[in-house]
Amino acid sequence: MGDSQYSFSLTTFSPSGKLVQIEHALQAVGSGQTSLGIKAANGVVVATEKKLPSILVDETSVQKIQLMTPNIGVVYSGMGPDSRVLVRKSRKQAQQYFRLYKEAIPVTQLVRETAAVMQEFTQSGGVRPFGVSLLIAGYDDNGPQLYQVDPSGSYFSWKASAMGKNVSNAKTFLEKRYTEDMELEDAIHTAILTLKEGFEGQISGKNIEIGIISADRKFRVLSSSEIDDYLAEVE
Amino acid sequence: MVKMTDLPIKGGFSFDLCTRNQMLLEKGLQMPPFRKTGTTIVGLVFQDGVVLGADTRATEGPIVADKNCEKIHFMASNIYCCGAGTAADTEAVTDMVSSQLQLHRYATGRESRVVTALTLLKSHLFSYQGHVSAALILGGVDVTGPHLHTVYPHGSTDTLPFATMGSGSLAAMSVFESKYREGLTREEGIELVAEAICAGIFNDLGSGSNVDVCVITKGQTEYLRNYQLPNPRTYISSKGYSFVKGQTEVLSTKITPIQPKVETVGGDAMEE
Repeated sequence: MGDSQYSFSLTTFSPSGKLVQIEHALQAVGSGQTSLGIKAANGVVVATEKKLPSILVDETSVQKIQLMTPNIGVVYSGMGPDSRVLVRKSRKQAQQYFRLYKEAIPVTQLVRETAAVMQEFTQSGGVRPFGVSLLIAGYDDNGPQLYQVDPSGSYFSWKASAMGKNVSNAKTFLEKRYTEDMELEDAIHTAILTLKEGFEGQISGKNIEIGIISADRKFRVLSSSEIDDYLAEVE
Repeated sequence: MVKMTDLPIKGGFSFDLCTRNQMLLEKGLQMPPFRKTGTTIVGLVFQDGVVLGADTRATEGPIVADKNCEKIHFMASNIYCCGAGTAADTEAVTDMVSSQLQLHRYATGRESRVVTALTLLKSHLFSYQGHVSAALILGGVDVTGPHLHTVYPHGSTDTLPFATMGSGSLAAMSVFESKYREGLTREEGIELVAEAICAGIFNDLGSGSNVDVCVITKGQTEYLRNYQLPNPRTYISSKGYSFVKGQTEVLSTKITPIQPKVETVGGDAMEE
């Protein structure tokens, strides 16, 4: 990949021991649209703003929340195209795992492999780190899980987390509202309220996206009319 | 030195070891036999979709290796594939294409089409020039309607209203040729498929045991595993078998007492 002239890594250490490219990647994430995830007792919800660059864009063609396997979904903050590449690679890795072990890939394994890919791009020749942080939500034999993966390749399991523009306000809001025994329905309401906090303009089913997974282990993205119903409940 | 991210691996058969294999054969090496599925597999199109059928015997030469194996493989929820030939090849190639179809579904957001599976299978088999010994009957229902295809090990395909493959194909085809007509109902389709498989089971040595049937219609698939069991074990004594002392002649008796286990109790812990 790349010319032999660029077979050295572009991500190099600064004298203070930091990887400046990764810091810049985190900046790219921090200026991306807000997204968040909440782990409930019986499921996980992820949500994101879907602000389109112009009213002329056909919003039905844009889907930010995507499936990696039938029981694992992902949302991102940062550069959309980078997340598409990662989702594609992760889907393939999930299939390879299934072909080898004849078993659906556990959430932790998929997170680990995705993180390994992201780390690879901080230490390879001629490539740059990914400009996205991912929130991976899944439900497997270990119950509902939520993981955040950063451009450096580090990942953490969260009970609730937020990323993007409004991260500090959103996290403060979540810290106040989160309870251990939250049900999925409450979590969806909380997610909507958190998004509403930093939302510019009128919130509706057309400019946010919500994905949920419950004990049925089927990740699905809610339709805009379903979101409108939830918004009406929250009012 | 930093490593470069990997280039995509080029496909096709790697002929690197062929000279070595040739040399070994000349030296007198016996190649181990592979597990073939001397088989009867069939498929037909009926008014609402397709019905696939298969026997369940897997043979290793003259020996029955598996009396109840599964020859109808899952490709997608609306596409199934019967496999004849080398069992490992049919398993591996159908698993691989099933996986590729899943990735394609994520990429397109649509239900898989039978022609997609067909093209993936035939291009893979062609690139291996017939060395992947998989003869398949691929059937399914998608947005464009019901489809039934046969795929041969070298990569050629046919599109047919009814098809049979495997060593029992002639026996099964004789049933289809005399009784098939367009617009069969579901019950008639299943009956005909079961009859064709039974013809293979009873008249071909390479096929036997039970009948598996799979019915695919728009929006619903029914996998009827062991739909018919025409070869049950005939006599099993309900009382079981008892062997009374004295029935077998005792030639000599030798008794060796079991050594008692030596246990040390107490003692000090080792210093250090």
